[in-house]
Amino acid sequence: MTGPTALPAPEERLACGRWTGPLVEQVAEGRARELDEHQRTCPHCRAALGEFERLWGPVRAVAADRPRAPVSVVEAALRRVRTGSREAEYGRLDSPLGHTRVASRVVVALARHLAGQVPGVEVALSGLAAEGHGVVGEVVPDVQAGVSGGSTAVQITLAAAYGQDLQALGERIRSVVARGVREATGLEPVDVTVLVDDVW
Amino acid sequence: MTSDGGVAHDGGTVTDERGSQIDRWLVRKARDGELGAYEELIRRHRDRIYRIALRITGDAADADDVTQEVVIQLWTALSGFAGSSAFTTWLYRVVVNRSLDHQRRARRTASDEPTEGDLVPVAGPERTVVAGEELRAGLEAIARLPDAQRVPFVLCQIEGLSYAQAAAVTKTSEATVRGRLARARTTLLAEMRSWSA
Repeated sequence: MTGPTALPAPEERLACGRWTGPLVEQVAEGRARELDEHQRTCPHCRAALGEFERLWGPVRAVAADRPRAPVSVVEAALRRVRTGSREAEYGRLDSPLGHTRVASRVVVALARHLAGQVPGVEVALSGLAAEGHGVVGEVVPDVQAGVSGGSTAVQITLAAAYGQDLQALGERIRSVVARGVREATGLEPVDVTVLVDDVW
Repeated sequence: MTSDGGVAHDGGTVTDERGSQIDRWLVRKARDGELGAYEELIRRHRDRIYRIALRITGDAADADDVTQEVVIQLWTALSGFAGSSAFTTWLYRVVVNRSLDHQRRARRTASDEPTEGDLVPVAGPERTVVAGEELRAGLEAIARLPDAQRVPFVLCQIEGLSYAQAAAVTKTSEATVRGRLARARTTLLAEMRSWSA
């Protein structure tokens, strides 16, 4: 039963005296080829390792399969969380043939993404600058019909990497975010406020 | 363990520590009511939430439900997060418990619950030339594991948590996690062996 050509059970002693349990662990942890001195010359251990390695294939396939969360599923849940928070706002860009509306969330997501890519930024959040920040033009509430605000103001809160010129970092972020938002949405970022909240 | 190969690690890495720091910052902001911080927190962890739910429930629709429930529940539950453990420990515990609850509810209510006989027979590994079939064989075998074995197996073998992390998530000891993981591996090999016979 436990000869070199037989199929060893996952919990039994091989003819050489070794238990199969540690061999199973060796295979499961991806160390099947890391043979110790005994295993290098033991046909029982090598046969068992080979067999377990072969049988472990389907489990390896599961471990290698990395499905991602469906974005629509997560977004649907976040929409429910957002219920009760402020209404959606839109920027509006007019053209002779009509107009384009850009949701404030688009600007927020873009700004967060852009700021997060700037070297020295550990993590960034962004939001539309609140009223009272001296914003003009603006991302306007959809209910204000007739307003043709083509401007946006963004506030970015971030934690920065320790040991750098934070003022220079702020300037880099302002530049990257303003250019990125302008290019992607057509809205003019008239104000990009950078709030360094923490340093690590 | 690595996330792809199932190799155990027993200590945190610099990346882990930095990730924990970012989580703590985001949790603090979210607890102050910053929805943006909460959304970022969810974005950072959504794939793992989904995968753990998927591997424990064994069903994509159930994993969708659990993921949504967790995302909604966490927003209000964050105020109860003491911060004495890592955010991920707390998060994974919520996901595991939700997944098990969901599965138990489904078992109780579904009259057409699949039985062992309903599961499609799978060819032995030597005949499974299509990678998809090998994956399916593995998934079905994992789905048959008892809860007590499946949870540590998913956390350690599939998601790469250390024994200590999995013990913290399941509120057991490292020795318990090791023992259950070993039994899960043995059970799985025995299943694979019967398929290949």
